[in-house]
Amino acid sequence: MIFAGIDVGSLTAKAVLLRDGRVIAWHVEPVQATPAQSAGRVLEAALAKARVRRADLARVCATGYGRHELPFADLERSEISCHGLGTFTSNPAVRSVIDIGGQDCKVVVLDAAGLVDDFAMNDKCAAGTGRTLELLARTLGLPLGELGPRALRSRRALPVSNKCSIFMELDVMQWMHQGRRVEDIARGITASVARRVAALAGKVTLRPGVCISGGVSKNAAVVRELEAALGVRFVPLSHDPQVMGALGAACFARLEHGRARQEDRRVQEAGDPSEPMAAGPADAAPACPGCTGGSP
Amino acid sequence: MSVFSELRRLAEVPRNERLAAAARAGRPVIGHFCSYVPEELLHAAGAVPYRMRAVGSCGTALGDTYFSSANCSFVRRVMDQGLRGELDFLDGIVFMNGCDHNRRLYDNWRHAAPDTGFSYLLFVPHAGSPACLAQLRLELVKLAGFLGERLGVEVTDDRLRASIELYDRRRRLLRELAELRRAPAPPVTGTEFLALMLAVTAVPPEDAVDLIERALGEARAGRAPVGTPRLRIFVTGSCLEELSHLELVESHGALVVADAICLGARTFDRDVGADGDPLDALARRYLGRVSCPRMMDDVKGRMAYTLEAVRAYAADAVILEKLEFCSMMSGENYIATHELAKAGIPALALTRELYGGEVGQLKTRLQAFYEKLGNRS
Ligand code: SF4
Repeated sequence: MIFAGIDVGSLTAKAVLLRDGRVIAWHVEPVQATPAQSAGRVLEAALAKARVRRADLARVCATGYGRHELPFADLERSEISCHGLGTFTSNPAVRSVIDIGGQDCKVVVLDAAGLVDDFAMNDKCAAGTGRTLELLARTLGLPLGELGPRALRSRRALPVSNKCSIFMELDVMQWMHQGRRVEDIARGITASVARRVAALAGKVTLRPGVCISGGVSKNAAVVRELEAALGVRFVPLSHDPQVMGALGAACFARLEHGRARQEDRRVQEAGDPSEPMAAGPADAAPACPGCTGGSP
Repeated sequence: MSVFSELRRLAEVPRNERLAAAARAGRPVIGHFCSYVPEELLHAAGAVPYRMRAVGSCGTALGDTYFSSANCSFVRRVMDQGLRGELDFLDGIVFMNGCDHNRRLYDNWRHAAPDTGFSYLLFVPHAGSPACLAQLRLELVKLAGFLGERLGVEVTDDRLRASIELYDRRRRLLRELAELRRAPAPPVTGTEFLALMLAVTAVPPEDAVDLIERALGEARAGRAPVGTPRLRIFVTGSCLEELSHLELVESHGALVVADAICLGARTFDRDVGADGDPLDALARRYLGRVSCPRMMDDVKGRMAYTLEAVRAYAADAVILEKLEFCSMMSGENYIATHELAKAGIPALALTRELYGGEVGQLKTRLQAFYEKLGNRS
């Protein structure tokens, strides 16, 4: 049985397909004009990679900002729950998730089943998010993918405000006008974003087993700065950290399917007076057992 | 037509035909900020009290010429409406020292002088001690004198008693309706209740009583608009008037069953009573009812009120509502979050701009919070 999770974010859309609890395909690409278009494209691409058809999908769960607008989704869950269950599925040791996406940043604390116990999310300011890194990389004249590697080559970060992206940009421009090393400015930027995220993490009590997910987790400099600021080493994830939301959504699709089937069974049993009502642990919804499959 | 449709319509416009009719009949319409301004006094002076709101506001562009962006969006929006002439139907406004933002609103209003009649600042003490009670009584005497002179109607004890009786009746009816929300399938949603509060504070109180009685009639007839909710929510906070926001809160099977907000319990908690000196009684009621965070000496009282309401209304969780830059709620939310955690009551603190966007983020927060509560059940 195949389950799909689709995460339509502000910058990218992601789809993950699960079969028997294992990831069989995933796909990421920049968002289109509408969430439905983005979701349709990533889902088709993932289906093509797995060589399966839409009709083969048992259930589809949507998450991300576009989650309410996907006509073909059977259910939707918040990004917070999905990033939680996705990272937990990817590594059962995960109990805290720092997710830095395109326009928001979340810190999620999980229980032993990978479900949300507590969370914090940035306010509308985008200073600790991927959008800021994109903006400032452009200001520096670097492709986004270059920002992290260049920052890692610096030995001294130049101070960059972490109040808001506009102030950050002003600082960056000031250093550029003074002819300072691009590497040091880049490191100032990544350190500033990390400080901002660490402050958000301070709003909840992190549990050991901290991981990082979301597109910004690919920026090695932010990761290093954040580990230093939080005093932790991030635990690894078995899949691309960018698809954790979609993976979690696929797991919720699977859980929901199990729950619905149990409900059907219960109704059938209740309708047959000769059968006693089933109860107890055997009736509980199965936890997503996690997946061991590698990414294609 | 259900009275709830009429209430919704009245709630969604800044002024209405009932207000216009009262004005045509020669009754001045006096705006007032904050639930600490005794409407009874305004009514006894022959006026129709009108609870100030930002309903229908189109933004803050003009308001921002007087306020900084670090002021709350309520005062910025109201200032904007005043400067655009949208509040010219008012014959006067009683401001109050509710918070610094409101206080500055009074200063700016006097400076900009929109065509809204007189501007009066009522001083209400920030505590409930006997000295504060005596001071508030003094301030009420001053306000009564001012209104009498301005409106040409002397605020006698008899007039005041009649107004108190009318407003006590409105409060009793509101409480009755609120109490019905204890039911497993409440007869009104939180959004409907807020619409009702907006409506009944924007029409003459005589009309308000009639509207609430009709709402009670429908509620008692077995109305249950959403059936049994999956989650029962208690809401507390300061300025909260956006129906669209409460609709967001009441998503994913959640229903607001009780509150401690200005346009809610703070308005209808506790009667004034007919006994004794009416000004004494007013001062006692306004300093004695469930307080708002502007009252410096009653954090415990507010927490006790919340805990008792959560129990009485079988609420599953509390949502703490705050407008960005509201210093009152910032401190209060911090304390309340810790106290609720100690009591084992799940809570979510939300910060928003009045009629601001950010719907996506608010939705995500609320949905994640409800999912978290669902995981525990
Ligand atoms: S929201 Fe807060 S700051 Fe704004 S007027 Fe109300 S109490 Fe004052």
